[in-house]
Amino acid sequence: MAALLFVAIQLNAQNVVIRNATVLTVTQGTLENTDVLITGGVISEIGSGLRAPRGTEEVDGTDKFLMPGIIDAHSHIALSSINEGSSPVTAEVSMEDVVNPYHIGIYRALAGGVTTSHTMHGSANVIGGQNETIKHRWGTTDPDDVRFRGAPRTIKFALGENPTRNHGRRASNASGAIVPATRMGVEQVLRAHFENGQRYMTAWDAYNAEAATNPRAVPPVYNDRLEVMADILRGEILVHCHSYRADEILMLTRVLGDYGVHNITFQHANEAFKVAPELAEFGAHASVFADWWSYKFEVYYSTAYNAAILTRNGVVTSVNSDSGELNRHLYHEAAKSQRYGNLSDTEALSLVTINPAIQLGIQDRVGSIEIGKDGDVVLFDSHPLSVYAIPELTFVDGVKYFDRFEDPDDVRLQISPSASIGAYEGQITGRDRVHDHTEVVNFFDLFSDIDFDIDSDNR
Amino acid sequence: MSHLSSASRVNSVLLFGLLSIVMLVPRSVQAQKNSPDIPVVSNVVAIQGARIVQAPGRVIESGTIVFRDGVIESVGRRVDIPYDAQIIDGDSLTVYAGLIDVLSNVAVPAPASPTQRGPGQQQQATNRAFPTFERAGITPEKDVRPLLDPSDKSVEAHRNLGFTTVVTVPHGRMLPGTASIALLSGSDAAAMVVQGEQPVVFEYQGARGVYPGTPMAMMSKFRQLFREADRRMKVQAMYDDDPTGMTLPPYDAVHGTFGSIINRDKRVFAFTRDALEVHRTLSLQSELGFDLVLTGLSGGFDTVDKVAAADAGVALTLNVPDKPEWAAEVGKDSLDQILAAFDEETRTATFRDVEAERRNLEAKQLQSRARYVSMPAQYADAGVSFAFTSYGMEAKDVTSSVREYVGAGLSRDDMLAAFTTHAADLLGLSGSMGSLDEGKMANLVVTNGDLFAEKTKVRYVFVDGSKYEIASAKGGNGPNGRRGR
Amino acid sequence: MNTFFAVLLATLTFGQPGQQQDQKARQGTFAITNAHIETVSDGIIENGTVVIEGDRIIAVGANVDIPAGAEIIDGNGLRVYPGMIDSGTALGLQEVGSVAETNDTNEVGEVTPHMDALSAVNPNSVAIPITRVAGITTVITEPSGGLLPGTASLINLFGYTPEQMHAGGVKMLILQFPQKSSGGGFRFGPQRSPEEREKRYTEALDKLNEIWDRAELYDRISTAYAADPNGKEKPVYAPEMDAIRPVLSGERALMVKVSAEKDILAAIDWVNARKLSNVVFSGVSEGWRVADKLAEAGIACLVGPVQATPTRGSDRYDRAYANVGLMADAGVKVAIRSGDTDNARNLSFHAGFAAAYGLGKEAALRAVTLGPAEMFGIDEDYGSISVGKKANLFISDGDPFETSTNILALFIDGFNVPIESRQIDLYREFLNRDEGRLQPVEVLPADH
Repeated sequence: MAALLFVAIQLNAQNVVIRNATVLTVTQGTLENTDVLITGGVISEIGSGLRAPRGTEEVDGTDKFLMPGIIDAHSHIALSSINEGSSPVTAEVSMEDVVNPYHIGIYRALAGGVTTSHTMHGSANVIGGQNETIKHRWGTTDPDDVRFRGAPRTIKFALGENPTRNHGRRASNASGAIVPATRMGVEQVLRAHFENGQRYMTAWDAYNAEAATNPRAVPPVYNDRLEVMADILRGEILVHCHSYRADEILMLTRVLGDYGVHNITFQHANEAFKVAPELAEFGAHASVFADWWSYKFEVYYSTAYNAAILTRNGVVTSVNSDSGELNRHLYHEAAKSQRYGNLSDTEALSLVTINPAIQLGIQDRVGSIEIGKDGDVVLFDSHPLSVYAIPELTFVDGVKYFDRFEDPDDVRLQISPSASIGAYEGQITGRDRVHDHTEVVNFFDLFSDIDFDIDSDNR
Repeated sequence: MSHLSSASRVNSVLLFGLLSIVMLVPRSVQAQKNSPDIPVVSNVVAIQGARIVQAPGRVIESGTIVFRDGVIESVGRRVDIPYDAQIIDGDSLTVYAGLIDVLSNVAVPAPASPTQRGPGQQQQATNRAFPTFERAGITPEKDVRPLLDPSDKSVEAHRNLGFTTVVTVPHGRMLPGTASIALLSGSDAAAMVVQGEQPVVFEYQGARGVYPGTPMAMMSKFRQLFREADRRMKVQAMYDDDPTGMTLPPYDAVHGTFGSIINRDKRVFAFTRDALEVHRTLSLQSELGFDLVLTGLSGGFDTVDKVAAADAGVALTLNVPDKPEWAAEVGKDSLDQILAAFDEETRTATFRDVEAERRNLEAKQLQSRARYVSMPAQYADAGVSFAFTSYGMEAKDVTSSVREYVGAGLSRDDMLAAFTTHAADLLGLSGSMGSLDEGKMANLVVTNGDLFAEKTKVRYVFVDGSKYEIASAKGGNGPNGRRGR
Repeated sequence: MNTFFAVLLATLTFGQPGQQQDQKARQGTFAITNAHIETVSDGIIENGTVVIEGDRIIAVGANVDIPAGAEIIDGNGLRVYPGMIDSGTALGLQEVGSVAETNDTNEVGEVTPHMDALSAVNPNSVAIPITRVAGITTVITEPSGGLLPGTASLINLFGYTPEQMHAGGVKMLILQFPQKSSGGGFRFGPQRSPEEREKRYTEALDKLNEIWDRAELYDRISTAYAADPNGKEKPVYAPEMDAIRPVLSGERALMVKVSAEKDILAAIDWVNARKLSNVVFSGVSEGWRVADKLAEAGIACLVGPVQATPTRGSDRYDRAYANVGLMADAGVKVAIRSGDTDNARNLSFHAGFAAAYGLGKEAALRAVTLGPAEMFGIDEDYGSISVGKKANLFISDGDPFETSTNILALFIDGFNVPIESRQIDLYREFLNRDEGRLQPVEVLPADH
């Protein structure tokens, strides 16, 4: 049955040298006619006429462009399930538990130069669940193999229309509306959980101290949800918050500030540009769309110049996809910042490389072509910021996982034994549902007794 | 309310002892499918001159087996037949140990509404975020024993296939309840039970509309219950030791059951529907630590090595995917041709290549299905000792699955072992079941040929010594039933 | 070209920033000189001049006479293109996706061909300026939902009333062709069985044929009545049928929305059986699979969106990018559509991707200019920079398909439309938000 796997899974790192390319390092300028050597999965040398160990794969990069593997800071690929929507706070759940390495979205994004994705819980909850950072090691069937080992924990928050609609403003709500129905409610849910998290942390710290000397110390009730809140307070989990309106963005900075939490990336943040100075002061980051707007009222007053304004005001900004379609051309999404705000080539490329790496806490490992970083690189036939650019080879840890010329058409890891062949399966388009339907298993089946169209507008 | 101490483990010796005592009452008399107004004259049966497959690899070409009061008294090439035995002429018959289904819902009547698999869906005032355990499908303490109904159609359906023993659990969702090992005979629920109070069944069926609905929430909930149960046990132990100054520790049956899981008094039978659920379950096990039996594993051809290396029992599903519609109209020769013509290098560049693309996709689909069907053979080759489960499928589909498994390379001996010796080992019942040996329970299936051959029919099934004659008019419904029936 | 310079040039040429914000679109006599002109119909003119008077182009060439009093726009280093045409949007009909009150695309009922999109177009939709500043001057705007959702219109993206916006009087009847497959790889909840899907498909096809049969009958009756009403009872009021009549005669185009391979083939058969001559297909995401049949049938296709995932899990990853090119290679006449509304402005990028993945730059440009103009029968007035055509064009500092290119000026119907939009306004206001402030703001209250 080897026929089904067209690439031998090489989870061990590889040696490869890309020669004579224009290397867009992102952090250290552009190097013409340069070689990049990757050994043991790590970039080991950058220069001209490099010597490579015997057996190193040779890639001719003449007239081509090499850039760091693209990092998508907002994705929902490779997940068996996306959103536990039954409660406004479900911090204890984690995408780590539902990683799906079979998902073809992994390969399709590789074909667009993406090597790392932050695959996230949905946005129906004020505090949703923990996210997972994965590397696009296509071809394995073991979920553990796609994890980005060592990546910091992150968690999904959401403000605005999604949580308020899903909990407080549902029309046929058999179980009754739950707070929040308004942005005011969202703030109170956040405050209550941070406060309870803090008290929980205090109670356990007190118990642990007492238990050292008193064998009859009684441990407090175990609550996995508050465990996670405590970890956020301890700074062990990076907060990524789906948000749109300027006022709610500021609200969260206030709440986080009250509880001493300063790591925050605002996701989507269509109106972040209106409070760019405040965000810069707080040290908040933003991960935005290139040009999506108007799909909901809270994004009606957006501008495609968002990324540029934020960048000019000193906010670390990335451009993400939140889509199984957009993630295939994030280099192009980043390039739009040149039309909408005249960002330089390096600034534009940073939006999908080093900046999302910073936001995910993995900047020491990826996000630029520097010695010591992971061998995650993409070779383009022309400058990636050109609309005509075509990605040709994508490497993760020095292993070639995408080859435009050699790869077969059908790369599926999982083929239905009984579905009809030749069926039109639908498409994701730019403005379509963010969640590729094939990602979600029996989703509506779970909520069949409630009119709960959780996927339809949760963007 | 006082709470129960954790269930004592029932070991097979004690069980055997109990059975011996119980055997004094001629249960077989009550269970026989004979007219009740005709007196029973003998509770000894001898099948003479039959081919006896005592266990995989232990065959008596022509021998006799005798059992009295539901216990095998003797088996061999030549044995003395008691004077009071009912003699069955075994010429052209083959006798096997009765088959064991290691997880099912047999004998548990299906819930009223077809779309409902568990707790009621009352809409009034359900708190979505904090539902009751019942509403959330979390009822691990729900004992199947009071629910057993020997007259339920599923009992006969299973027995007609040659099963004598099942593990059965209530219908439900994530934690539907505590299963029991039951015989497919008996006049009432209590009479069916061989062993109760475990295992606890876990599966990835989310609560409808309330927490936890999704797989990640189910896994979190499992961990939360586990960890809190652990804490409560420690606190309870402190309280039991000396309650002075302590608040009464909380108790509920759900956490209580998890306590038994933590103590390893109860095993967890986790039902998985695909390879990812296998990974997830093993991950939970390695994180928390509990006795695990993996059941189902459809698509488990991708997890053979991991499962082989894991510390978990295995019971593979008897559920095989349907054949693709297009293949139904194509003869076997054409199917082989399609497979032979498969070209891995094919590129579909333009409309001219669309036909070739289709052929290749058909071949790939055949290959894919072949992987499902050869999965038990792969596990056998990897040295994994597994049983079978019919959980989540209809009894009538077992036959064709068995045929396909054997056709795809699982040896008959391995197949038989999965249904008998391995299953008995898995359930800790090797002392009383799984093979035809002296002293074991008289659970037999008697056929007119090789159990897994196409035209073979099941003639008799003996459960705990009670005889069930399988109607032969329309042909048997054994696991080897004829195509099209 | 250096983008700062481009912006500076734009403000110098077309007015100061403050002035620009108050500027109204106006007609007049304009001469764009010294520019690289991509006429589309007659090749490229280097250092050329385009003269606009009123709503028309009155001169194009390397050496043309410039009328006295013309406003000169120095096109040195700049390029001039025909205004782009997007063959599939819902501009003016849809404002905010999730707010039903702002959406007028989908009327109740399966059979509503008489619903006329034009009358519901909101000329003041915020998305209109946002789209036109990208160089898109003309779009089809379409109703959707149901078997016959309504009548689409071609509109220019400038005008104070829908009638002013209506371009070339072009309207098209939309037919959402019945879909054989389930239409989506994964369905939530209980799946329909193949038998049920087959049944629904047959029912839909039957319904279509029933409607069409009636329409043909209605046409006969109405024609006869119109020829001589004497002694005849007036035909029943059937606006649905009135909407279909012009399609029967070929006077009005039928736009068949169809995507899947099997559906395309069925649609070709149906259209041929009904002897319809004025037909375009729209969507056509699997058109490449039956490109030869489409070419043979001579059916023009409005293809897109290009930036989309493949239609099948087994498809090559770039199939949707390559689809247009593959169809063109087989001889199908193609136009490119964005299928978008909020981001119809990305039409140029859809075209760029199509170009890169096989269509080629020249054909891609044609597919958003002269190509659709020809398909809609308005190529005498639209689609290229030619003498006598409407002055729908834009000036850019480079290839408009490239993201680094800026669109510097825009003409629609000869109006010099300012490069203004709400998103540009927000950029101006917030790039340096606190610039006008004398006292620095305490960014966050002291006690935090």
